[in-house]
Amino acid sequence: MAYAYLFKYIIIGDTGVGKSCLLLQFTDKRFQPVHDLTIGVEFGARMITIDGKQIKLQIWDTAGQESFRSITRSYYRGAAGALLVYDITRRDTFNHLTTWLEDARQHSNSNMVIMLIGNKRTQSAFPWTGIICIYSHKLTSLSAIFENVDLESRREVKKEEGEAFAREHGLIFMETSAKTASNVEEAFINTAKEIYEKIQEGVFDINNEANGIKIGPQHAATNATHAGNQGGQQAGGGCC
Amino acid sequence: MNFLRGVMGGQSAGPQHTEAETIQKLCDRVASSTLLDDRRNAVRALKSLSKKYRLEVGIQAMEHLIHVLQTDRSDSEIIGYALDTLYNIISNDEEEEVDDVEEENSTRQSEDLGSQFTEIFIKQQENVTLLLSLLEEFDFHVRWPGVKLLTSLLKQLGPQVQQIILVSPMGVSRLMDLLADSREVIRNDGVLLLQALTRSNGAIQKIVAFENAFERLLDIISEEGNSDGGIVVEDCLILLQNLLKNNNSNQNFFKEGSYIQRMKPWFEVGDENSGWSAQKVTNLHLMLQLVRVLVSPTNPPGATSSCQKAMFQCGLLQQLCTILMATGVPADILTETINTVSEVIRGYQVNQDYFASVNAPSNPPRPAIVVLLMSMVNERQPFVLRCAVLYCFQCFLYKNQKGQGEIVSTLLPSTIDATGNSVSAGQLLCGGLFSTDSLSNWCAAVALAHALQENATQKEQLLRVQLATSIGNPPVSLLQQCTNILSQGDKIDRRGSKIQTRVGLLMLLCTWLSNCPIAVTHFLHNSANVPFLTGQIAENLGEEEQLVQGLCALLLGISIYFNDNSLESYKKEKLKQLIEKRIGKENFIEKLGFISKHELYSRASQKPQPNFPSPEYMIFDHEFTKLVKELEGVITKAIYKSSEEDKKEEEVKKTLEQHDNIVTHYKNMIREQDLQLEELKQQVSTLKCQNEQLQTAVTQQVSQIQQHKDQYNLLKIQLGKDNQHQGSYSEGAQMNGVQPEEIGRLREEIEELKNNQELLQSKLTEKDSVIENLKSSQTSGTNEQSSAIVSARDSEQVAELKQELATLKSQLNSQSVEITKLQTEKQELLQKTEVFAKSVEVQGETETVIATKTTDVEGRLSALLQETKELKNEIKALSEERTAIKEQLDSSNSTIAILQTEKDKLELEITDSKKEQDDLLVLLADQDQKILSLKNKLKDLGHPVEEEDELESGDQEDEDDESEDPGKDLDHI
Repeated sequence: MAYAYLFKYIIIGDTGVGKSCLLLQFTDKRFQPVHDLTIGVEFGARMITIDGKQIKLQIWDTAGQESFRSITRSYYRGAAGALLVYDITRRDTFNHLTTWLEDARQHSNSNMVIMLIGNKRTQSAFPWTGIICIYSHKLTSLSAIFENVDLESRREVKKEEGEAFAREHGLIFMETSAKTASNVEEAFINTAKEIYEKIQEGVFDINNEANGIKIGPQHAATNATHAGNQGGQQAGGGCC
Repeated sequence: MNFLRGVMGGQSAGPQHTEAETIQKLCDRVASSTLLDDRRNAVRALKSLSKKYRLEVGIQAMEHLIHVLQTDRSDSEIIGYALDTLYNIISNDEEEEVDDVEEENSTRQSEDLGSQFTEIFIKQQENVTLLLSLLEEFDFHVRWPGVKLLTSLLKQLGPQVQQIILVSPMGVSRLMDLLADSREVIRNDGVLLLQALTRSNGAIQKIVAFENAFERLLDIISEEGNSDGGIVVEDCLILLQNLLKNNNSNQNFFKEGSYIQRMKPWFEVGDENSGWSAQKVTNLHLMLQLVRVLVSPTNPPGATSSCQKAMFQCGLLQQLCTILMATGVPADILTETINTVSEVIRGYQVNQDYFASVNAPSNPPRPAIVVLLMSMVNERQPFVLRCAVLYCFQCFLYKNQKGQGEIVSTLLPSTIDATGNSVSAGQLLCGGLFSTDSLSNWCAAVALAHALQENATQKEQLLRVQLATSIGNPPVSLLQQCTNILSQGDKIDRRGSKIQTRVGLLMLLCTWLSNCPIAVTHFLHNSANVPFLTGQIAENLGEEEQLVQGLCALLLGISIYFNDNSLESYKKEKLKQLIEKRIGKENFIEKLGFISKHELYSRASQKPQPNFPSPEYMIFDHEFTKLVKELEGVITKAIYKSSEEDKKEEEVKKTLEQHDNIVTHYKNMIREQDLQLEELKQQVSTLKCQNEQLQTAVTQQVSQIQQHKDQYNLLKIQLGKDNQHQGSYSEGAQMNGVQPEEIGRLREEIEELKNNQELLQSKLTEKDSVIENLKSSQTSGTNEQSSAIVSARDSEQVAELKQELATLKSQLNSQSVEITKLQTEKQELLQKTEVFAKSVEVQGETETVIATKTTDVEGRLSALLQETKELKNEIKALSEERTAIKEQLDSSNSTIAILQTEKDKLELEITDSKKEQDDLLVLLADQDQKILSLKNKLKDLGHPVEEEDELESGDQEDEDDESEDPGKDLDHI
């Protein structure tokens, strides 16, 4: 249970792009094809390891619906990382990214790390695939093929476009699939790595919890010496 | 404003007229004065009037005060006065203290006033936003009244104000900063503000939690000295409760944030009796409740169990158990601790096991369970404590078959401690069951019922329990004793006062007998029981007896419903006839319905905790209400069902069983056939494999034969060529092109040499004859006295001749040497030829040197011939082999054919059985239909119908799918 750092994340983006699925896949390693609309926010947590250090991620999955926007805004300020999600099969969710980003930049602390995620939400167009999966395992592979074939044909946002948007706005970018779990781990972990690097560079004020970062209980005591060591390490890193 | 003035103006008229004028003047000054000092003084004056003339100030000044807040932000003093004034007119707190002696009516009025002013204030949402922005002001004179004003706004019209704060950006987050304020007053009032803010608003609760509220509040609590802290700790605890109660997301966050571990020090209450102040008791109470919020039985099961796990792992449960066993703990804290421990262990095996292992620090050490049960059956203990112990015991046994077994085993003859030194849980329960205290009876009966809950094994085990009643009398079974007391209690004139005893015993018996036909048989075996029950139900008793009648009806109903007809005199049918004759069906059902119609029934069905305001309310147990819900309907149906229907049902059941048997029979058959098919398939495949192997062997051999044939042909052609040269053999091996020429050459040479030799030999014979002639002529000449000269000449001639002869001889010798040389060479060549003939491919250049005779070639030819013969033999052998293989092939083909026919047969069989099965399915469907209709009928008639049948049909379909697949596979073969 002991951790070196605790990072707070939020997941934002239009409704129905698969935010809750991403969280569920990351925390529970499972996929739920039919998911209720998120009301307000939901909480999830998981431990990861970066650079040999245990890092606890606390993740708040927000509702994408417009009516909850004012509530979800309250979560920007205290988060160290944000996953901004759109659906690669729905152009409009990509078009709304600018609004989301403005909102996030306006309400969050300036150092918040934002990861742009193009998520594949294949199940919405195939509500029956889930049912088939349940009734006959023989057909799963078939439907998987269907989907893979289908996905590229239904793709509305090219990977290059996502990359370009991320470059333009200084975000990290990744395409994921909450269903197949592809890149989901990476999305959360890479964001954490970015935050971790920022801490090492001294960009974050780690003693202010309002930034969404907390030092682990046993690390807090040794933090002073730890910080000193870090300076030395960085100097060494410079030589190499 | 005008409207309000119109409504309320009447009240302000009269004696307060001058005050109203003053207020009006002050308001004008606030509104129109250009000097800040002037305005400030006016606001201060308004503030001083605002308590006494709340209504007037409120009506006239609010608008101006809000304006001040908007425009005079630079002057904290005037803002402070304005906020204070607004607080005075909106808040009811001060009023209540002042108006303590006044009538309730006026208090009500002032409350209305507060909410009405609040409504006016928040009508403009900007006002709330303005207030929120003022709270960012660090100045104490602004922040403090601001906090108080917002708190009272929230208290007046919580939901509306909450909504406004929620939608104003960073609204909640700003308020969270109050907890970090270094000034204690503001921090403490901040806690109160957050309390009001978070009251029943999940969204705000989550944001507050997100803003590290748990961390901060836990810090404050520990800084203030945990339970020893003051009212601040209490406030923080109430806020924590607001954040966690019924908020699964926050509970999850609390658990994931490892905050449960931080609760443990709260309960490290020293044993040194440092005194239990009222505040400490309140704090601990709230702390215990907070633990219970996390493990409440109403939470999602997964969430509760993960918190229970964490509480055991961090030692919180252990800490609670030490409080449980400590001395000098106030009764209400002890009670709440017991309740808390109950919910921490409820349904979680690890914690239940730990609890079972806890010992009280007595000498000798006794299990905590025993110590607790002792208080439960002790009349002198407080009622709430006894209820808590019962709850604890129930939670210990909830979904804990192991614990149930352990409790029941303490009653069984084999395990009872003969020495009687230590009291066991079972003994205490029996003691409670038969004591004179009706509450003990009730508690013990319910506790024992929980040891049997959903545990058929223990229901049967408990039947073995025998009780020694008094010396000399034979032991009585526990079941018997229960029914005895039940019937005696009726006779003794304690009716009503002992209602708990009878209700408790009846609940125990109902739980015991339900789902346990053996217990029903035992119960019916006592011939007094059924007449007692029918008597109770049939009697027309007062209202207070209705519940007992209902419970008796339930017990009788259970004895019918779970009756396995093993007792001839009390078969289902006879009991039902009895009801019809003695009680009447309608009457019986009506009495049965008394239970669930009882006013306390729904109360008990809500929560597992036995929570009774006073002993009179102690009637129903939560688990028992579940049982009633489950059984009421089915018993009603069972009673209404006629005997014919019963019989029909039986028949249907039987036919169902029969059909089931048939189906299972066919299923087995299909399974067997499947196996057979599988075996045959395997056989076929192995044979196929063998066949393939053999075929490859055959082709190999065929190709070998072909090779040999080719070789043979080659040899034949060579031989033919040789024959052309020799012309002496009709048949021979073929030689390659180079050799015959050489041989020819060699032959010519040989011919030449022969001629030479013949020539030489003829010469030699000529010479020999000459010599002979000469010899004879010499001898004749000597004899006929020939001259010596002639003889000398002759001897010279002889010598010459002799010399010539010698040279010829040497010539001959050398020639013969040459011949032998040639012969050996020829021999060599012959051998080489032989070697060559054996290895057809290698052609000897060695032969080039040799000149040999015909015999040589003949020998070679014969050798070749022999080889040819050998090859022929080989071919013959190979062809034999081939025929053998062909035979083998034929035989395997035939086996395949046999298998094919067998397979066909099996396929036929399968199709047959499929048809049969289809027929059966149709039959089954019909039967199902019938059964369904019968079931429906049964249901209508109040007989419970098991749902297993549907599962069966599901299996059936699966079977179909499986049996089809092998058939398909076979088609491909």
